[in-house]
Amino acid sequence: MNPLWSTSFFRSKKEEESLAYFLSQVPIFSDLGKRDCGQLESLVHCRSYRQNETIFEEGDPGSGMYIIRSGRVQVFTRMSDGSEMELARLDEGDFFGETTLTAPANRTASVRAVEPTELLGLFRADVVEMVKKQPPVACKILMGVTRIISERLQIAGKELMEFRQEKARAAAEDEAS
Amino acid sequence: MNNMSIPPKAKVNRNQALLFYLTLTAGIATGLIVYSSATTIVTLLRTATTALFIPLLVSLVLTFLLEPPVTFLERKTGRRTLSIFIVYTLLGLLIYLFMIWMIPNSKAAWQSLQADLPRYLGRLTEYFKELVDKLHNEFPVVATYDLPARGRAMAEQVLGGILISTPKSALGIGGILLIVPLFTFFFLRDGSRIVRTCLSFIPNRTFEMVHDMTYLIIMQLSYFVRGRIIEAAIIGCVVYAGLSLTDIRYAFFLAVFAAITNLIPYIGPLIGMVPGVLIALIDLGFGGQFWWIVITYFIIAQVIVDNFILIPILISRFSNLHPLWVITSIIIGGKLFGVIGMIIGVPIVSIIKITFTEIRHYRRTFSLIETTLEAEQS
Repeated sequence: MNPLWSTSFFRSKKEEESLAYFLSQVPIFSDLGKRDCGQLESLVHCRSYRQNETIFEEGDPGSGMYIIRSGRVQVFTRMSDGSEMELARLDEGDFFGETTLTAPANRTASVRAVEPTELLGLFRADVVEMVKKQPPVACKILMGVTRIISERLQIAGKELMEFRQEKARAAAEDEAS
Repeated sequence: MNNMSIPPKAKVNRNQALLFYLTLTAGIATGLIVYSSATTIVTLLRTATTALFIPLLVSLVLTFLLEPPVTFLERKTGRRTLSIFIVYTLLGLLIYLFMIWMIPNSKAAWQSLQADLPRYLGRLTEYFKELVDKLHNEFPVVATYDLPARGRAMAEQVLGGILISTPKSALGIGGILLIVPLFTFFFLRDGSRIVRTCLSFIPNRTFEMVHDMTYLIIMQLSYFVRGRIIEAAIIGCVVYAGLSLTDIRYAFFLAVFAAITNLIPYIGPLIGMVPGVLIALIDLGFGGQFWWIVITYFIIAQVIVDNFILIPILISRFSNLHPLWVITSIIIGGKLFGVIGMIIGVPIVSIIKITFTEIRHYRRTFSLIETTLEAEQS
């Protein structure tokens, strides 16, 4: 393609396939510019998983988040009787494990690839390095993570509130009957 | 049913036994070959590693030292390669200025040292003779051991060794001067990429843990290396300042020697003060200046500055080694790589200790649940 036309409107296919372009499309990194995404590209780790391969288990030490570049994963938890309870299925562009990006904590659920999957791992150690070397870029990444965590926390809070109200209503109905 | 199953079982056992004996014979034969040529392999490995090991190690140390200024400049300029070039230029300028100041002084000092060395050795021999005579008077049995002859033989052996290894060391230093700046440049520029490439070979299941631990180990190592070098430099400066107050000659060389030997814990500072105390004893005698030099070396540099100020601030508690490990690593380092091995032996053992401590600490922080891959099961 003529370099003159290869602007954002006439983006070449190659650019759309690039890792930096993919990262710019992930909501968590929406504040990042083109150059920042290039920096982020050098931070993430590309990992390939086979079908049914465990990405991490509940209780594992967590040190970062994963973004699904291709494929699909299943988030699940193990019940006391050993059976598995599916919590979510995530597709291309989704991400998980972001709560351990800033603070070391154990994983709260297990994740498994349900088909051959390619993941991009972003880990705390790399973000800390970025804070030292490129504070503005690191700030944008962390702002994005904070925004997403806040949104999810608000949703979780709302659900908890609804659950409590429902429980209280059920208790009141029991008492009335 | 059981009778029918015995013959095939016995056949399998015979085959297995045959295979076992064949493997055992092959194993013994290989073992004998390896054992007979072990010396050659070890020598070959040692030659190959000596040539590359020291420059690599020096480059790594320099990378750890230069990382903070390069990162600082990268934050300002936004470009890593440019930042490295700026740091290199400034460092080159500093070395140039140091050489301009150093060369005329060191020339004169070297010439006078050449003249003084036989005098120092002569006086040392006299002291030794006096000591032996005293011993003879006190304990007549000692005379049968012929201590002067043994001492002379030992000194000749040591001096001979030094003279033989000097041209080799000079060649090595030439190589280091050429290779080290190049290695350091690439380590500074592509260090994180090299680590990432190495990490990419780690299996998925342990990748996250290894990645996290690698970062922690590198961080601890950089603190340790920077701490040790800064500590040695400050000790050198303190010794130089202390010696400059007296009439002792070669204060600068003595301070450099004290700084280098300070890299070896426990024994290093003692070795570092020997030439200074000897020169003071021969040139200045038992006077106020001699005792001031001893106080400078021992109380000011080691006890006050090093133990009370520098070690608590600069050196992490992780890297503290037991004296037994220090002595063992010096002996092994000395046997493998000579004088340089004696200096680098302790830091290398410290590095290994830091690595193990970090792994243990990490495993304690997170009790990793051992899980097998479902994919492997299927």
